Amino acid sequence: MTRLHPQTLRIIALFVALLATILFFSTQIDNYLSSRMFTRITTSAAVILPIAVGQAIVVMTRNIDLSIGSTVGVVAYLTGEFLGGHPDLHPLAVAMIAMGIGGLMGAINGVLVAWGRVPSIIVTLGTLALYRSFLVQYSDAKTITTASLPQWLVDLPQANAFSLFGLDVRVTVVLALLSAVAMGLALTRLRAARRIYAVGSNPDAAVMAGINAGMVVFVAFVLSGAFAGLSGLIFLAKFGNITVVAGMGFELKSVAAVVVGGVSILGGSGSMIGVVIGCVLVDTIDNSLTRWELVSEFWRDALLGMLIMAAVTVDTVMSRSLGRLGGKGGA
Amino acid sequence: MSVLDLRHVSKSFAATAALKDMDLSIEPGEIHAIVGENGAGKSTLIKIMTGVHQPDQGQIFVAGVAVTIRSTQEAQSHGIAAIYQEPMVFPDLDVAENIFISNRAQGAFMNWKQIYAQAADLIAQLGVTLDVHRAASGLTLAEQQTVEIARALSLNVKVLIMDEPTASLSAHEVARLLSIARALKAKGVAVIYISHRLDEIFQVADRVTVIRDGQHISTKPIAQVTPDGMVKDMVGRAIDTFAVKSAANPHGDSVLRLEGLGRSGVFSGITFDLSAGEVLCFAGLVGARRTDVALALFGISPATEGRILIDGQAVTITSPQQAMSHKIAYVSEDRRKMGLALSLPIFANISLASLGKLLGAFGLIDRKAEAAMAEGYRKQLAIKSPHVGVEVGKLSGGNQQKVMLAKWLETKPRILIFDEPTRGVDVGAKAEVHNIIRALAQEGVAVLVISSDLPEVMALADRVLVMREGRQAGILDIAEATQEKVIRLAAGSAHGQVAA
Repeated sequence: MTRLHPQTLRIIALFVALLATILFFSTQIDNYLSSRMFTRITTSAAVILPIAVGQAIVVMTRNIDLSIGSTVGVVAYLTGEFLGGHPDLHPLAVAMIAMGIGGLMGAINGVLVAWGRVPSIIVTLGTLALYRSFLVQYSDAKTITTASLPQWLVDLPQANAFSLFGLDVRVTVVLALLSAVAMGLALTRLRAARRIYAVGSNPDAAVMAGINAGMVVFVAFVLSGAFAGLSGLIFLAKFGNITVVAGMGFELKSVAAVVVGGVSILGGSGSMIGVVIGCVLVDTIDNSLTRWELVSEFWRDALLGMLIMAAVTVDTVMSRSLGRLGGKGGA
Repeated sequence: MSVLDLRHVSKSFAATAALKDMDLSIEPGEIHAIVGENGAGKSTLIKIMTGVHQPDQGQIFVAGVAVTIRSTQEAQSHGIAAIYQEPMVFPDLDVAENIFISNRAQGAFMNWKQIYAQAADLIAQLGVTLDVHRAASGLTLAEQQTVEIARALSLNVKVLIMDEPTASLSAHEVARLLSIARALKAKGVAVIYISHRLDEIFQVADRVTVIRDGQHISTKPIAQVTPDGMVKDMVGRAIDTFAVKSAANPHGDSVLRLEGLGRSGVFSGITFDLSAGEVLCFAGLVGARRTDVALALFGISPATEGRILIDGQAVTITSPQQAMSHKIAYVSEDRRKMGLALSLPIFANISLASLGKLLGAFGLIDRKAEAAMAEGYRKQLAIKSPHVGVEVGKLSGGNQQKVMLAKWLETKPRILIFDEPTRGVDVGAKAEVHNIIRALAQEGVAVLVISSDLPEVMALADRVLVMREGRQAGILDIAEATQEKVIRLAAGSAHGQVAA
């Protein structure tokens, strides 16, 4: 089917790249292909995947959300603090609170971008700093510790959902995957979600077609914040101790996962399968570099940066050769 | 009963009255042409009908009921939709999804099977063939328009406004669009057809409304209208629709000679001689690669085969700088993208390609000389603007075209290439541009004109070079050229009948 062709190819290429990466590191690092390494990488990816899903939605609308690293930190801290006072809350309520706080922070971005007409890169760069400063000020340098968290949350990262071929799949991993699956289904099946593609593909045409483009962009940012909230909760569970630097640098990781996963930085295209594989690929490289003796782990960020540039270059070259009509509007 | 009625509608922007006491009545199943010069108020009229603007005074009635239209969505819910010169499609989505993206009647979930079936049905109703699975990014402008019309049809449109729909289309695509308009009419849809191309209006319209200076001048059945009368109503005076060229043109020596010029995979085998004072028009369908020949001559995407000779000397042109050093100028089709800096004033745009001549003390730009030079062009080309400090983005299309022309004239070119010089320009300004082109030729400039507007080609050309799918299909002397011959060459024998 012609409609899926370039995307399908892309997913296959990504999958091959992931396998090649794993194969490469298995020759470099002792005891690499172990269930411990699987758990390490998947649980690490579980923190990033929800924010990558949110980031993908925002990028599809031709915007970017750089504030999510700070959102994760704020949500993790506030939720942790709240749980200290209300340890008996139902887990579902906790999740709602975390996503609610994140959604609210995303809504601030959304209002400014969608109706304030401020470019998203400026708005979210501003809130990236603002939210972080708020966290520093609010926390007064106090740390949330495992001692103040309810036992179920402390146990959550070790909880197994199921085992497959001797590999343990953690509950947090399932949670993260669920967010991607839900969004993936929505993007292919839900009419309202299809508008995300429309707005990113041609914002002027979207308005002409009677789509409330501002609302679509606003909702994208709210979702991005809410998914960052979910990520904040998983972060809180995974690390237990939350300081003011929680979630720092996640914006880079999420953008890397999204563009490596084949979401066009120009908006309008991309799939959740791609985002999942992109996220796993980024985290595999990230975690493997920590273990690789030949390379200093300080190269991790540099490599992420290079991955982003390579992915966007491939995207640009491909779309140019496909001869899309980008930028032909406006007359 | 009228499907759409505007009564005593007025609209002002700041001090400017865009529409004054406008009346317009649209009947179901009619093709109603609206004509007027640029700035006559057509755009404002469309924006009021589609809910982009609200009238200051007056009332809009849909099927006899007074309504207020506050947004595109509300206009759609009243069955009013519009398509524009530049189609508004989503390049990343396929044809079917483009059609149904904003359709609220479809429910919350995507039923892909049903969407494809319905899309195919809508396309078929328009009497065209188009694969509904294709991505919109690969479609031609004409096909994108078809998608937009199908989208409007899916929304049960009662009034479809077509704003300059054929400005970018080739002859056989125009014919197809006109037949789509007739198909819509047969389904009872009222089509409001806005075009600068009077021949199309006479082919397709049932009634014609002329507006001028924001006012309703006349509405008549097409049978009671003549082209001259219509143009007179539009401009408020009688003008020649097309410049009459001088009987004999001085044919000097060959200034430019192309021998088998080509660019691999794009075009090939372009061979002609161009003399000083001669106008050679490039005709052909959209996609015939005419612009690519111009881009090769101007060094933007250089030729890979064949030779370019200037004054009998073979030259290589691989950059616009080289082209300009050979005194070649290129007035591009896309004013916004390649021609003008819209946020800069008129004088800065005009001086842009010849700043070297305006240097004063310390190598700084001589502001006075720059302003004087620009002022000279403002008067010579009758650029409608109070002074040369006005931002180009605020000028009308025709005046932007003149600014771009002034920019290239200042480089004192010997070979001047025009790419669609009157696209989207109104009748009055069009005649002016034609006069300027003829005057330049008289002064000895060798002129190449790429145009999809056949009457324009017939009016301007000394010779017509017809291209088809990247190849030279033939050169006709104007004495032997007819529109039918040109179309037959452009379309190839298989499609010869389509547009004739």
